[in-house]
Amino acid sequence: MSEQQQAIHVVDDDEAMRDSMTWLLEGEGYTVACYDSAASFLAARNDRMRGCIVLDVRMPEMSGLELHEKLEALGSQLPIIFVTGHGDVPMAVSALQRGACDFIEKPFNNEDLLSRIKRALELENQLAARYQLNSAITRRLEQLTQREREVMQLVVAGKLNKQIADELDISMKTVEAHRARVMDKMGVRTLAELVKAAMTVN
Amino acid sequence: MFIRPPSRQPKQTWLWLAPYAAIGIFALAMLILTGLLQWREQDTALSALEGDMHWAERTIEARLHAHQDFLTELGREQEFRQLTYESFQVRASRYVRDNPEISAIIWVSTDGKVEWVAPNESTAAFVGEQLAGIRLSALQEALRARRELFSPDYAGADQRRANDLILPVQQGSADLGAFIAMQSLEGLLRVTLPTSFTSRYSLSVVDADNREVFSNSSVRPTDRRISGAISLDLPSNQLGLNIVAYRGGGAWLPFVPAALIVFLTLIATATLFQLRRHAGRRAETEEQLRAAYAFRQAMSQSLVTGLRAIDLDGRITFVNAAFCRMTGFEEAELVGIAPPYPYWPPEEFDQLQRNIDQALGGQAPPGGFEMRIMRKNGERFDVRLYFSPLIDAAGQQIGWIASMNDITEPKRARVELERAHERFVTVIDGLDTAVHVADARSGEILFANRAFQHIFGFDTVGRDSALVTAACRPAPEALALDPSDIDPATLPVEIFDGELQHALSGHWYHLHERAIRWVDGRTVRVQLAADITDRKHIDEVNLQQQKRLEQTSRLITMGEMASSLAHELNQPLSAIANYCAGCVKRMQAGNYKLEDLLSAMQKASDQAERAGKIIRRMRDMVKKSDPNRQPIALAELLDEARAFADIEAQRTSTQIVVDLPGNLPKIVVDRIMIEQVLLNLIKNGIEAMHDTPVERRRLSINARQIDARLLQVEVADNGHGLAEEDVEKIFAPFFTTKQEGMGIGLAICRSIIEFHQGHLWVEARREGGTVFRFTVPIEESDDE
Repeated sequence: MSEQQQAIHVVDDDEAMRDSMTWLLEGEGYTVACYDSAASFLAARNDRMRGCIVLDVRMPEMSGLELHEKLEALGSQLPIIFVTGHGDVPMAVSALQRGACDFIEKPFNNEDLLSRIKRALELENQLAARYQLNSAITRRLEQLTQREREVMQLVVAGKLNKQIADELDISMKTVEAHRARVMDKMGVRTLAELVKAAMTVN
Repeated sequence: MFIRPPSRQPKQTWLWLAPYAAIGIFALAMLILTGLLQWREQDTALSALEGDMHWAERTIEARLHAHQDFLTELGREQEFRQLTYESFQVRASRYVRDNPEISAIIWVSTDGKVEWVAPNESTAAFVGEQLAGIRLSALQEALRARRELFSPDYAGADQRRANDLILPVQQGSADLGAFIAMQSLEGLLRVTLPTSFTSRYSLSVVDADNREVFSNSSVRPTDRRISGAISLDLPSNQLGLNIVAYRGGGAWLPFVPAALIVFLTLIATATLFQLRRHAGRRAETEEQLRAAYAFRQAMSQSLVTGLRAIDLDGRITFVNAAFCRMTGFEEAELVGIAPPYPYWPPEEFDQLQRNIDQALGGQAPPGGFEMRIMRKNGERFDVRLYFSPLIDAAGQQIGWIASMNDITEPKRARVELERAHERFVTVIDGLDTAVHVADARSGEILFANRAFQHIFGFDTVGRDSALVTAACRPAPEALALDPSDIDPATLPVEIFDGELQHALSGHWYHLHERAIRWVDGRTVRVQLAADITDRKHIDEVNLQQQKRLEQTSRLITMGEMASSLAHELNQPLSAIANYCAGCVKRMQAGNYKLEDLLSAMQKASDQAERAGKIIRRMRDMVKKSDPNRQPIALAELLDEARAFADIEAQRTSTQIVVDLPGNLPKIVVDRIMIEQVLLNLIKNGIEAMHDTPVERRRLSINARQIDARLLQVEVADNGHGLAEEDVEKIFAPFFTTKQEGMGIGLAICRSIIEFHQGHLWVEARREGGTVFRFTVPIEESDDE
C-alpha cells in the first residue's frame, strides 16, 4: 500500500491566487502543492499522487477543462474542484456532467471552499481504500490455480460440494480439498467473506 | 448511277478527212470507169454507124443509078424516034409503079413544057404545064451540059420535098427535050432503106448549105456524136445525107450510172457531214457533261455538308468527302451498306431505324431529322438530316439523297445563346431595379423588365413611355439634354441622374437615364429606376439613431468596460479574501508566527492596491466624458487596452502579438476613445477565432506611419473571416455576426475614428481571417 500523504494540488496561473491559496490551506493544516500551469502539473503528476486538485478553469495554453480531460484519459482518480470566474457557469456544468467532482465560483467564501476540499479528500480516501482492497483481492485471485478458480466460481454461485463434484467430474474429497485451499489463499474464513471478496472485484 | 465520265479523247481532224477522200476517190474511179465504158460503147456504135452509112449510101446510089439507067434507056429510044407515046406510057407507068419514090416521069420540051406524063392518073404533073423556077433552070442546065442531073429540091405537089432527075435527050447537036423523073426524097429514103435501118438512125437530107431538107424523124436525136454525113455521089447533086444514131433505151441512159454515182457520192458526203456534225455536237455535249460532272464532283467534295445517297431499299450508293469526314468512315466502308449503318450509336438504334423507315416511306419531315450519330472512334455528335428524292435521267425515282449537317456546334451555340438570353432575362428580371428602354423620339417602350412592369403595369411594351411613366418622370428642364435631339455620334450619353418620388405611390426612386444606341441602331433612352424608399427611410432613421448612438455609445462602452473590470477584480479580491481568511484561521488557532501574518497581510494589501488600480482605470474613463485629445504613445494605449483584453485572451488561449516600430511618433487622440477602439477590435478578433485551433489563435497588432500626418494601425486575426457581403455591413449599427453581440461596437469605432479625421476599414486576409485597419493623426513635429 502506498503511503503517500493526501495533498491539495493548486493549479492556477495567477501567482497571487496560488500564494494566497497556499497561505489559507496551510493554515488549515493541509499539504499544498502549487503549479503555475496545467503542463507543469502534468509533468509532476504520478499514479501514487493522493489528495485533490483545485483547478483554475481559465488558463492560457491549456485550460482547466482540457487538463481534466487529459487526467481522465490517464485514469487519474483525484477529485477536482474547479474555480471559475463569473460567466463560466455553462463550462462548469459541462465539467460536472463529465463526472468531475465540484466547482466553486470566484470570489468564494473560505468556509465553502474548505468544506468542499474536505469532502473531496474524504471521497478520495474511500476511492483509494477501495482501490487498494481491489488490488489485494486481485493479487490473491491470481494465486489460485485454474481448477481452484472454477471451484470458487461454483461455490460463490451457491452450489453444494456434491453438485460441484458432478459438474467438474471430480470426487467430493477433491472438491473439499480445493475449497479449503481457496479459502486459505483468499484469506477468508467464512463463505460470506468469500462471496464479498468475489463481488468486490467483479 | 454515278458513272464516271468518258475520258477525254484527243481531237483527230485528219481522221475525219479520210472518209471524204475515200468517197471522192471512189466516185472519181467510178466516173472514169463509166466514161471509159461509154466511150467504148460509142466507139462501137460509131463504127456500126459508119458501116450502115456506107451501106445506105451504096443502096441509095444504086437506086438512083437504076433510075438514071431507066431514063437513059428511054432517052436513047427517043433519040432515035423509036419510042412512042404508048410505049412510053406503058413502060414509065410500070416503072413508076415499081418505084414508089417516083411520083411521075414526064417528057418536057426544051423550053420546059410538059408534053408527056406517065402515068396518066398522076397528079404530080399535067400535060402542058410549064416548068418554072429552079426546075426550069435545072432543065436548062441539064440541056446545056448535055448530061443528066438532079435539080435542087423543091416543094412537090403535096408540099413534100422533091427533086427532079433530068435526062436531056439530044439528036446530034439538037436538043429534043428531056425526060424528068420526079422523085420524092422521102419516098426515096423509105424505099431504099429498110425499116430496121430507119428505126435505128435518124436520117436527114441536107442541101449544099447543109440545111436540112428532109428528115425521116421529127424527133431530134440527142447525141450528135454518133453521127455521120455522106454526100450522094450524083451529077450536079449537092444533096447530102446526115445519119444520127438513135440511142438505144434513150439518150440519157449512159448518164444514169454517172448520175447515180454522183448522187450516191452526194448522199454519202451529206451523211458523213451530218455524222460529223452529230459527233461534234456529241463531243460538245460530252464536254459540257464532263465539265458539269467535274463541277458537281468538286461541289460535292468541297461541301461541308455531308451527302449520302441511298437506293429505295436504304442501301448506301454514294457518300461525299464531307460525309466521310464527319463520320470518320472510309467511302468503301459505307457504300453498299444497308441499315443499320455503322455510324449508328447502339443506344439510338430504335430512333434511327424509325427515321430511316419514315424517310424511305417518303414521310421525311421537310425540316429534316435531328439525330445523334457516332463517329468511327465512338464520339457522338448531333446532325440534321434532310431527305429529298433522287431522280434519274428517265424521271424515275431511284433512291433518296440526304444532306447531313453537323449541328453539334450550332446546337451548342444555340443552347448557349438561349442560356445566355435566359440568364440575361433572369438577371434583368431578377433586378429590383426597374429597367426600361424607350425610343428617344417616339417614346415607344421597346423593353421593360419585370420590376418595371410591377411598378408601371404589365402591358407597357409598345406604349408611350411619357404616358406610362408620367407619375415618376424627371421634368424636361431637369434633363441634361433634349433626348429627341441627340447627336448619335456622342452616344452613349447620360441624360439624367437623380432621385424622384413617384407621385401616386409615394415611393422614392433613384432614376438614372442614359441615351444609347439600340440594337437596331436607333437612339433610345435607357432608364434604371431603383426603389430607394427603404433606404431613404433607413437613412432618416439612421440619422436619428446615430445621434442617439453617439450619446449612448460612451455609456455602453463604459458598461462593457465595467463588466470586464469587475471580472478582473475577482482575482485580487479572491486573493485578499484568502490571505485574510488564512490569517484569521491561524490567529483563531493561536498557532501562528507574526512575520508570517505580516507577510500575508502585506500581500493582501498589494492585492488591494492592484484592485485599486483597476478601479482607478474605470474612474478615469467615467471622469473623462468629453473628448480630450492629447499626444500619447500608441504603445501606452495598447498596454492599457491589453490589460482589459488579456482576460479574454487568456480565457480563449489567444496569443496577442504586438509588434510596433521603435520610433513611432505620438498620436493626438482622446485616450479613452482610442483605447475603446483597440479593445473592441482586439475582442472582435479574439471572438472571430473562436473556431480556430488553439495553436493558431494568434492576434497580431502592428502599426506604421504612412505619411507626415497619419499613423496606420492594423489588428489582424486568423479567424473565420468575413463573408463578402458583410464587409460593409459590419459597420452598420446593430449588425452583428455574434450571437450575444449588440452590434454597436464597430459602428461606434468608426464614428470615433472618423471623429479623429481617420478611417476604419476591414479587409480579408489572404491567409484567412480579417484585418482591421484604422488611421489616426500624429503629433506634428515642433521643429518644422
